[in-house]
Amino acid sequence: MSADSLEEALRDTLHQEVARERPRLDGLEKCVTTELAGRLPRLRPSEAFRRLLAPTRGARIGQLAVVTATAVLFLLVGVLLAGKVSPWREPGLRLTAAGAGDARGAAGVLFIMPAPGAKSVAVVGTWNGWQATPLSDSDGDGIWTATIPLAPGRHEYAFVVDGRWWGQDPLADEVVRSFGEYNSVRYVGRAGDGA
Amino acid sequence: MTRNRVRSAFAFAALLLAGATCLAAAGIPEFERALSSLALPGEAEIRQAFEVGFSQNRLEVEEALLLVEGLSRAPGNGPEKQGILLIVAGALRDGLPASMLVSKACEGLARGVPLLAIEQGVAQRARLEVEVRDLLYAKRIFSAPTEAAAPPGALPSARFDALVSEIADALADYLEGGGSPLEGYLLLDAVTLRLTKLSGTVLPPQDVSLVLARIEAGDLTSVVLNALDQPKK
Repeated sequence: MSADSLEEALRDTLHQEVARERPRLDGLEKCVTTELAGRLPRLRPSEAFRRLLAPTRGARIGQLAVVTATAVLFLLVGVLLAGKVSPWREPGLRLTAAGAGDARGAAGVLFIMPAPGAKSVAVVGTWNGWQATPLSDSDGDGIWTATIPLAPGRHEYAFVVDGRWWGQDPLADEVVRSFGEYNSVRYVGRAGDGA
Repeated sequence: MTRNRVRSAFAFAALLLAGATCLAAAGIPEFERALSSLALPGEAEIRQAFEVGFSQNRLEVEEALLLVEGLSRAPGNGPEKQGILLIVAGALRDGLPASMLVSKACEGLARGVPLLAIEQGVAQRARLEVEVRDLLYAKRIFSAPTEAAAPPGALPSARFDALVSEIADALADYLEGGGSPLEGYLLLDAVTLRLTKLSGTVLPPQDVSLVLARIEAGDLTSVVLNALDQPKK
């Protein structure tokens, strides 16, 4: 018998042996873990904690626990501080890349409407019952602006240029249809202001 | 010494409360005068429903006053003006939030939209609010008068109302934009976008998560189809 055929015969025999014993081997792991768990002494939580911090037996684990607890404490403090000073809670005007303003605090939301030659420009919206709030163009360059304090939330609005409504503000977060016309939308607050 | 401080604190709090109550009540006679000037046959019914809405914080007196003043300035006949007010009154009687309805009506008046078109637009939003509220109930999201009285799974009424109002408004905007009620996934996208953008500002994030975890595209299709099928109230 050659070495190859001997190896093949040996492998076949082993496979047959394993296949025959499979029903007994299937539950072996569970059997062993159950047996070991039964032999382990049961500790009360206070006893387990005392052993963990014991200078002789659990010194390293104890040190590790203290370091971990300190790290968790620092992490919690960091998360809390981050919540206090996160950008969306910061009061005051904040211009985004799109030019939209954030209305938290006293500064308010900046509305800009280019209307060269217009006699009057106003903004109407959900925050004021669709009553006109005038925009101003103090330097006469045709860019009309107003900064209006708005509560956090969703605000629909439109500009009124010489009495004609204009609801497609390029600085808006959204544009929606209303009564067959357009309204612009600004979201003020955490997820809004055009960011 | 301590007792005196406690007394002073109570007196200060009572003064604040009295002041706030006076301020809140100050606009009601003005609203009633403006409503009377419209000389509508259903005035008593409208007044009663609006006063319930004021007491439940489902509508501000100033908002109602703006609407009534806008109606009094608008050209058109009494029945159409009354129709708009009755829709808002009906919503308030049903315990629904009415600010969105009043705002829509005020916008229509400011734009000079015909009263009948305003009535139709407001009525559609009111029907959507009813359907959205029923959907939330069906999804085991309920409302309770206050946070303290809220059993597990129930939201304080102000938070529940905010959800109803924003979901209904998002669906109404979708429909006004020409969206099909049969495209359930687009309806769900519209609602998800609205709620997500308002999460952390006017809507608590946990309320947004609760709703988005429980509603599906098919639910919103049913809501919209039911709202469109109902006869005008």
